[in-house]
Amino acid sequence: MSAVDTRLPPPGARAAHRGSPGPAPGRRAWMPESATALLLLTPVILLFGLSVIYPVIETLRISFWEIRGLGRPRFVGFDNYLRLFSDPVFLGTLWTTLIFTVGVTIVAVTIGWTIALLCAFAPRQTSIFRLMIFATFGISEAVAGYIWIGIFRPGDAGLLNGMLSAIGLADLAQPWLGGANSALIALIITAAWSAVGLPLLLSFASVQAIPRSILEAAYMDGAKPLAMMWHIMVPLSLPGARVAIFLTLLSSLRAFDIVFVLTAGGPARATETVGFFMYRESMTQFNLGYGAAATIILLIGVLLVSTPAIAQRTKGAK
Amino acid sequence: MTGRAPKWIIIVVGFVGCLWIVPIIGIVATSLQTTDSIARGWWHFGENTFSLQAWRTVWQTYPLAGSLWVSAKITLAATILTMVTAPAAAYTFHYLRFPLRRLWLIIIINAFVLPQQVVIIPLFQLWRDVGLLDNMGAVIIPFVGLSYAWAVFLVKSFLEDFPKELIEAARIDGCGPIRTFTQVVLPNLISPIAACGILQFLWCWNTLLLPMLFLRSDISLTVLLARIAGTYDPNLDQQAVAAIVTAVIPLCIFLLFQKQFAAGNRVSSGGKE
Repeated sequence: MSAVDTRLPPPGARAAHRGSPGPAPGRRAWMPESATALLLLTPVILLFGLSVIYPVIETLRISFWEIRGLGRPRFVGFDNYLRLFSDPVFLGTLWTTLIFTVGVTIVAVTIGWTIALLCAFAPRQTSIFRLMIFATFGISEAVAGYIWIGIFRPGDAGLLNGMLSAIGLADLAQPWLGGANSALIALIITAAWSAVGLPLLLSFASVQAIPRSILEAAYMDGAKPLAMMWHIMVPLSLPGARVAIFLTLLSSLRAFDIVFVLTAGGPARATETVGFFMYRESMTQFNLGYGAAATIILLIGVLLVSTPAIAQRTKGAK
Repeated sequence: MTGRAPKWIIIVVGFVGCLWIVPIIGIVATSLQTTDSIARGWWHFGENTFSLQAWRTVWQTYPLAGSLWVSAKITLAATILTMVTAPAAAYTFHYLRFPLRRLWLIIIINAFVLPQQVVIIPLFQLWRDVGLLDNMGAVIIPFVGLSYAWAVFLVKSFLEDFPKELIEAARIDGCGPIRTFTQVVLPNLISPIAACGILQFLWCWNTLLLPMLFLRSDISLTVLLARIAGTYDPNLDQQAVAAIVTAVIPLCIFLLFQKQFAAGNRVSSGGKE
């Protein structure tokens, strides 16, 4: 840290200052400010342009072309989009994505938020358990998928079936990943297991930020823990939970790894989400234009969900 | 919190916590048992036989060490590049004035909503045309490019609370913008830069889609895991080994720095002075 000079600045220096470390007063700037800015930003503009801006524009462009494998591209206008919306597989994909996204968000945020509220009553005694739940944050979705394959195995070798038999619900035991509905449920459980860390972290921070005086007042008035949770802590930790809901929605909407690993979209494409459908069409069937159109639909969905967040960030961008 | 915590709360949280690590215990147990035992169910600890066979097989049959090295190289390169360039960008956006500044900023910080799927078709074509497929650069470039969306925002929101007096003093002392950055601002940015590094490390190490598409011969651990699982049930023990090897390093990094996660969450209150 450089020592702070205590001498008074020359008159006029403060007036010219806009909070920007522009050229020092009485010194000739050897480089205009925008040139310095360009220098510092060059790597960011290059890498960001190459791997974000260019691909977004190019995906949009490709979505209006028919490109199959190495064949010659043909401009088809909105044909890819029209085909998508008359393709029963894609329509099923939209439905699956909706159920998956909403399901994962409800399960993960409900569990994460509830645990955060409970932990607030005994932060120290529960810290080890909190860490056990939060640990899934460090485990990749792909690994989570492999971990849960073992649990959903058919027959007695799967832990879930084994547990159901043990508690006398053997009728419910089934090859979980083999049926269309049960595979989607399995996918939601796995994704929620893996996604619960963020809602827990964000809600817990939000609960901890509630002023002690409010909680003490409620305690003095004889409020029971559950009443306190419901009437005071839930509304006051809503900001953190709202961020958690948004981030979980966003990441489940874009899911790929976990679908690829756990079900690969199966059985019979019943658990394909839009993010997986675009991969299948473009990277295994080489229908690049068709896959790009599906990607644009996914992008529109993502933008719809994120509109409030984008508006907020744009407003705050000073 | 006020008063004594009711016991049932600790019991409920403890139960959920234990439930949450059952799958992790399961994968470790699976990796250490014989195929017959796994078929019976890994939790029959009394009757099952333990063996290190799966570990030996995976080590001998698959390029585990090679993939570990590839994952390490890709992840470290992408993490360091982000840690070096994102703070410079955040500083520039926050303090310097230049044309189209706000437009660039809005585009970059809002790009965090983009799904990875948007980049794969164009980059696949581009890397194929310039011969970058199967090169680690094909993965590192989008890893770094995509990270700016959240990394620049994270560092910049830390700068919101950075004391203006320091910047002013440096300027009066005759520092240009670059010296102000390297000597005044940068030494105070350790915590947001570390947060960026940890998040970027976890994401790069853990992701599957981009390395799976852009790497063929030198593959990362997640891709190797997908390959080992390419054939179904009979090698569940080997999948377990690969899953453990893939998860262990990010999990250690995570456990080591989990305190900073809780702190980094309150990023905007981070001013040191």
